[in-house]
Amino acid sequence: MKLPLSWLREFVQIDAPAREIADRLSAAGLVVENIEQVEPAFQGVVVAHVIEAGRHPNADRLSLCQVDAGSKGHFSVVCGAPNVHSGMKAALALVGARLAGADKGQHGDGVPRLENVPPLEAAVIRGVRSEGMLCSERELMLSTEHAGILELPADAPVGTDLADFLMLPDTVLDVEITPNRGDCLSIIGLAREVAAIFGLELNIPRPRRVRGKAASEALPRFSVEIAAPDLCPRYAALAMTRVKIGPSPILIRRRLELCGMRALNNVVDATNYVMIEMGQPLHAFDLEKISGGAIIVRRADGDREFTTLDNVRRELQSNDLLITDQQKPLAIAGVMGGLNSEVSDSTTTILLESAYFEPDTIARTSRRLQLHSEASYRFARGIDRAGQATALARVAELIASSAKARTAGELVDIEARPAPAREITFDLSVVETLTGASLAPAETRRRLNAIGARTRPAGRGMLTVVPPPWRGDLNEPADLAEEVVRLGGLDDIPSGLPPRTSTRAVANPARVFFKNTREIMLGAGLDEVRTLAFTAPADNQRFSGIAQGVEPVKVENPLSMELSELRLSLLPGLTAALRFNLNRQAAAFHAFEIGKVFMTRDGGAAESLVLSAISYGPYLIAEIGHKGIDGGFFSLKGILQSWADAMNIGSRLAFRTASPSEVPFLHPARAAEVVLDDERVGYIGELHPGEAMRLELNAPCAVTELDLAKFISYGFAPRETIELPPRFPAIRRDAALVLERDLPADSVIKAVREVAPPVLESVEVFDVYEGQGIAPGRKSVALACRYRAKDRTLTDEEVNRLHSAVVEHTLKRLGAELRQ
Amino acid sequence: MKDQLEEIRRRALAELGDDAEAEVVENVRVRVLGRSGELTEIMRGMRDVAPAERPIIGKLVNDIKREVEARIEALQEHLRARQLERSLASARLDVTLPGVRIPRGHVHPVTRIMEEMLDILCGMGFEVEYTQDVEDDFHNFAALNFPPNHPARDMQDTFFLPGGMLLRTHTSNGQIRVLERRRPPLAVVCPGGCYRRDDLSVRAAPAFNQIEGFMIDRRGRITMSHLKGVLTEFAKEFFGETRVRFRGSFFPFTEPSAELDIYCLLCSGAGCAVCKYSGWTEVLGCGMIHPNVLRAVKLDPNEYQGFAFGMGVERTALMKLGIDDLRLFYENDVRFLGQFPSVAGGSR
Ligand SMILES: [Zn+2]
Repeated sequence: MKLPLSWLREFVQIDAPAREIADRLSAAGLVVENIEQVEPAFQGVVVAHVIEAGRHPNADRLSLCQVDAGSKGHFSVVCGAPNVHSGMKAALALVGARLAGADKGQHGDGVPRLENVPPLEAAVIRGVRSEGMLCSERELMLSTEHAGILELPADAPVGTDLADFLMLPDTVLDVEITPNRGDCLSIIGLAREVAAIFGLELNIPRPRRVRGKAASEALPRFSVEIAAPDLCPRYAALAMTRVKIGPSPILIRRRLELCGMRALNNVVDATNYVMIEMGQPLHAFDLEKISGGAIIVRRADGDREFTTLDNVRRELQSNDLLITDQQKPLAIAGVMGGLNSEVSDSTTTILLESAYFEPDTIARTSRRLQLHSEASYRFARGIDRAGQATALARVAELIASSAKARTAGELVDIEARPAPAREITFDLSVVETLTGASLAPAETRRRLNAIGARTRPAGRGMLTVVPPPWRGDLNEPADLAEEVVRLGGLDDIPSGLPPRTSTRAVANPARVFFKNTREIMLGAGLDEVRTLAFTAPADNQRFSGIAQGVEPVKVENPLSMELSELRLSLLPGLTAALRFNLNRQAAAFHAFEIGKVFMTRDGGAAESLVLSAISYGPYLIAEIGHKGIDGGFFSLKGILQSWADAMNIGSRLAFRTASPSEVPFLHPARAAEVVLDDERVGYIGELHPGEAMRLELNAPCAVTELDLAKFISYGFAPRETIELPPRFPAIRRDAALVLERDLPADSVIKAVREVAPPVLESVEVFDVYEGQGIAPGRKSVALACRYRAKDRTLTDEEVNRLHSAVVEHTLKRLGAELRQ
Repeated sequence: MKDQLEEIRRRALAELGDDAEAEVVENVRVRVLGRSGELTEIMRGMRDVAPAERPIIGKLVNDIKREVEARIEALQEHLRARQLERSLASARLDVTLPGVRIPRGHVHPVTRIMEEMLDILCGMGFEVEYTQDVEDDFHNFAALNFPPNHPARDMQDTFFLPGGMLLRTHTSNGQIRVLERRRPPLAVVCPGGCYRRDDLSVRAAPAFNQIEGFMIDRRGRITMSHLKGVLTEFAKEFFGETRVRFRGSFFPFTEPSAELDIYCLLCSGAGCAVCKYSGWTEVLGCGMIHPNVLRAVKLDPNEYQGFAFGMGVERTALMKLGIDDLRLFYENDVRFLGQFPSVAGGSR
């Protein structure tokens, strides 16, 4: 909402500088986003009286005018405007004046700085000397109007500086109005705030009363019927005749422009002017186009479409509120009028509407139609519930003056549903109970009165408060407490710390889990990344995530096709980040993300938390004398295992060969499912060569994704019992077994475990070999078995005996032989 | 025999001079002290010595043995030191060559800032609760006092999902979710992802993080004064010494509502283009929980009251890190990420 201070000062006498007004409005909840200094684009221009506009002796198209500029003197001026005429008041640029708009068009769009504009000189035009210039609005940069010169009101004082007359320079505050403050979408509303904040008097002139009896001419007849009182409790209307459509006075046009509205004609401008001034949206119909002169406020019901005055055909729903006549819709109530009843240049009789429409219905319709007008904006936020007749009187007063029109007949004001009485019983102590501010009761009451509430004592420390009709947002004591502290900019509230005993905080196990997981992943050399939850359908098809057979969630109103679904997996984001970095010369990318994935469940959407990682390129960087390690399946698997070990669930985590159909995006021969306690919780593998090619990768890229739900519930559990370090030495025995190539190493361990004696402390695969010396299709697996007893030192013979039994069983079980 | 012994001693000590080589020392050791060395030979010949002299000779043998041993010991020590010195010099490394680095990742700056905020808040007695991103209208709007069609809903352009679901537009749903499960007194912070229909740009993103906090207790125990105190402390810990101010504002779910500003981190209150010459930067929104919110979770506003606040993590991170492009947080450029610490926690 734009607030020109000159306009504000019509209602409240405030001398404070703009910055202070802005700061205190901001502190009270009306943030001033910008302070604009509006300077006149001219100097040396005065109000002048054209005494005589005669013909130029040497040019038919030019006039030679005798102009009186009061104390500035008498001048003879040549003028080319067609509208110049004797007796008019006009803007005279004196010799020496500067006009930033004088040569607009020659300098392109830029506005020259006034001091750079050459001063106006007396000129000889077709042999006649011209001592100054009568200006168009464009030359004064008041508008783009250049068809004729600016005609000033007849009562404009001759000789006055034009900038002063137009109240330029001005300062315009740009105030951000929160949705609860519909009342502040008006100059008077903001003036009330300023008066309340600064403790000043608010002075709102009453508009002249509408006088029913005009001349003896026949009065236009009209009627008003409210058929939907639930949506429109009040509707006021007034007819005016002998309207002469034309441009509005310069002051009105100027102010509309400062407030960001375009001037149209003296009727429409007047309705807009009053809307901005008082916050009441108004509409003017061409009365002759209203069939039978009957205004009916009703639901659209059977009406299916309507063409609004922006010439767009709008689809209606049965619940939309319309203004109609006996035959057709005239307007979508509170949103926009129709083309069929618009005021045109030939209009002579108008019907002015000033109504209260329920915010909810206007908000719903304007949102559905994506049609947001200044009127619907205000109605949706709630306007003054009782201001309709006053606004109508005010606009009639303006139109009477600007369009030389007369009111015809009485003002019709129908209240189909009276406003419910609103009384709040207000315990003054609530202010302190809620906010901690201790204000004197008198001050509390003063502040409530200042915002327009009526208050009366209701017993000890109690007030009965009637909120003003323009404050639909005030409904309970907390609302009033806010008003009281808000006007003081919240400075009355002391700063204190809460009693410590009121709560007992417990560390959140999930957060501990995240922290530790992050710590381990960072320690393993993975960067943490964060990617968007939105993805393209193609990405969801490609990277289908951990769960199988789930459908992705489609966003109903996506930003773009590329972001039209919620991700099933973090891989689209991680692979995109990989590509992003490779494109910027990164040689490696090792990263993880903890994030949410989404899937369709029961027709709705469900979410789950996953950990995902990607590893590509050199992992341990090769240094002088040291070999590096490349990221790949085993380094990433190792990271997962270290992580699980740290959580004390390493032994419960298993890796099984994955079937390609489960993870089609992984290399079919290099993919595993990750299993926790026999439950599939994720996958790990190298990207499918096809994917790698699509991503233009030239080395293996390992990825993993784990469903974290299970892991979080385990947390980082400490061991249940702590064992003492072994007291007796261990004895190691190795064995190299030659077996079928496709048999996983895991099955060797399992076979060993089947007959493991209690003293077999651990068994590990420490080497796998294929090639020379080994038959094709077979491989050698080297095992390290470690034997240890808790209570004694084992003898070599004992261990040898046990070990050969273990090996023998394993060979038999797997159809293997000992490597020679 | 005595002379013989004296001769052995003299010869041995003469050979065991300060600059004796290892070889010489070893030769002397073998010749004098060895199994068939000179002293052993003497001891073997003891039975030829007169019994009365035996102890004297024996003592002399032992003395010489100890003396030579000590001398050899000393020389060997010396030789070892020399040897070590030589080998050290030959093992010289170029210490300026790079070490073998253990890889270490970097925490994402948004995580770092979020964890830092949570650490401060937890230190002030708040506990962390995680709540869901996929929400229904009730928990994201209606229970938070956003009536249907209310223009306040337009402040948060929502992503809608099938089945009447939506992506939460703020973490304020945490208030409702937690209060449906737990009763006051409570001091809770809910961090997490939020979604609004904004294109990814320098200033906005379709997905971002917020931290919602709230503290509720019996009526009168937790007031707006405590809200001021808690958030002032938070701002000072998080931003360092700065001036703060509270302004009136509007949120459907708080009454009174306020916004917290701190001194603009760029100009320290002097006024600059970034703060639109006001000298202040908005940090977070807050207020006393609206009675309708309490009613929505079946708490009687005559019995309970509390405050709530919410802040954007990315926005605050931009401020604190002094960068001006939100997209940096979403690109995951390792040259950007690499500038952040390798530890997950905040500064404490
Ligand atoms: Zn600044």
